[in-house]
Amino acid sequence: MMTLHGVDVYLNTPQTPDLPKQIGPFELNLISNRGTRVYPGPAPDLVLGDCPRCRYLSESEVTGEQVDELVAHLTGLGWKWVKCQKLFRKDGIDQFSQPY
Amino acid sequence: MAHKVCLIRGDGIGPEIVAAVETVFQAAKIDIDWIEVQAGLKCVEAGQPIVPDETIAKIKEVGLALKAPMTTPIGKGSVSPNVTLRKKLDLYACVRPVKSLPGVETPFKNLDLVIFRENTEDLYAQIEYMATETVAHSLKLISEPGSERICRAAFEYARKNKRRLVVGVHKANIMKIADGLFLRTFQRVAADYPEIESWDNIVDNQCMQLVTRWDRYDVLVMPNLYGDIVSDLAAGMMGGLGLAPGANYGDKCAVFEAVHGSAPKYTGMNKVNPTALLLSSTLMLEHLGELDKKTAIEGALSATLARGVKTYDLGGDATTSGFAEAIASELKG
Repeated sequence: MMTLHGVDVYLNTPQTPDLPKQIGPFELNLISNRGTRVYPGPAPDLVLGDCPRCRYLSESEVTGEQVDELVAHLTGLGWKWVKCQKLFRKDGIDQFSQPY
Repeated sequence: MAHKVCLIRGDGIGPEIVAAVETVFQAAKIDIDWIEVQAGLKCVEAGQPIVPDETIAKIKEVGLALKAPMTTPIGKGSVSPNVTLRKKLDLYACVRPVKSLPGVETPFKNLDLVIFRENTEDLYAQIEYMATETVAHSLKLISEPGSERICRAAFEYARKNKRRLVVGVHKANIMKIADGLFLRTFQRVAADYPEIESWDNIVDNQCMQLVTRWDRYDVLVMPNLYGDIVSDLAAGMMGGLGLAPGANYGDKCAVFEAVHGSAPKYTGMNKVNPTALLLSSTLMLEHLGELDKKTAIEGALSATLARGVKTYDLGGDATTSGFAEAIASELKG
């Protein structure tokens, strides 16, 4: 049975966003751009697209409502999200890939 | 003054084919200051990342590397050292020249193609999820800036090397949004090069045409996954992966590599063909402006093959080091 642990939020912004490191039970785990990790550093010297992926994760299981609240919080801060993807684990194993 | 080049000796048969290149370079009297950097299995076994940050930093500083094949460990959390280098150094243009060699018999006579593969995005963005218990999603990421710079690199290459035709390869009939963006970008860039003929082709048709009408084609440019597949197809047409060179270019640095794997089962047997890495190193010489040296080594390689000195993969019995010595003799002679 998969359990919910976080969300990848894809924002529309031309730069690496300065986001809260903690929102509720979630920590900002990484930001990637065009599939390459740009946060935490060192950020590679690469061409950035305008759709960074921001991963918020919780070690403990979370609810769908908590994910909704996180996304609403980012919207409230003025960020425009274009896509969200829930992140699951199964038997302790991530059911999502890691960026380079 | 010696050219500074970072050197990754690689895993498996890597060190043996690097030694072969060194033999040929010494015979050609090429002044290279090799700066050895670490990557691959040895780093993993030492508890380091497969490509340590120091290696990335050194290649960025020097701007150039020659890389032998490395092994991607199998298992959870393992990453490809090759993809890591491409991503961390933003080596967006994978260039694979495919050319017939004397003495290497294939059904494809007078083959002379150059494949430009986008190297940093597409399905290689490695964005994958289990969306539900039974459905997996893998995100194909195509961007306009990513498409533009690889298409422009292909047309610039064609202009510089007096190539007549650039073909954009895609699957926009099915992936109308993602490949459609690549195709529109290709067409927009092509308009900036009116002296170069261009058209586009669907990837499956392109594969069929390559093996039936290869002489129609010249420079091909395509997104990452198609480039991975088509360039290996073309390497087979040339005579095999043991012959196919590769170069990865970014705006600030370049890494030259044999495109085959580390062939662990042949490690230490002094058996494999070093031609792919040798031809990759001649692409590096071209990048360094050493065109005379490039021509001399490629001429010596052709002469060696033409007189029947070949490794096992081409039906011969020359060893890796023996083949390199034969090329070196041609250069000295």
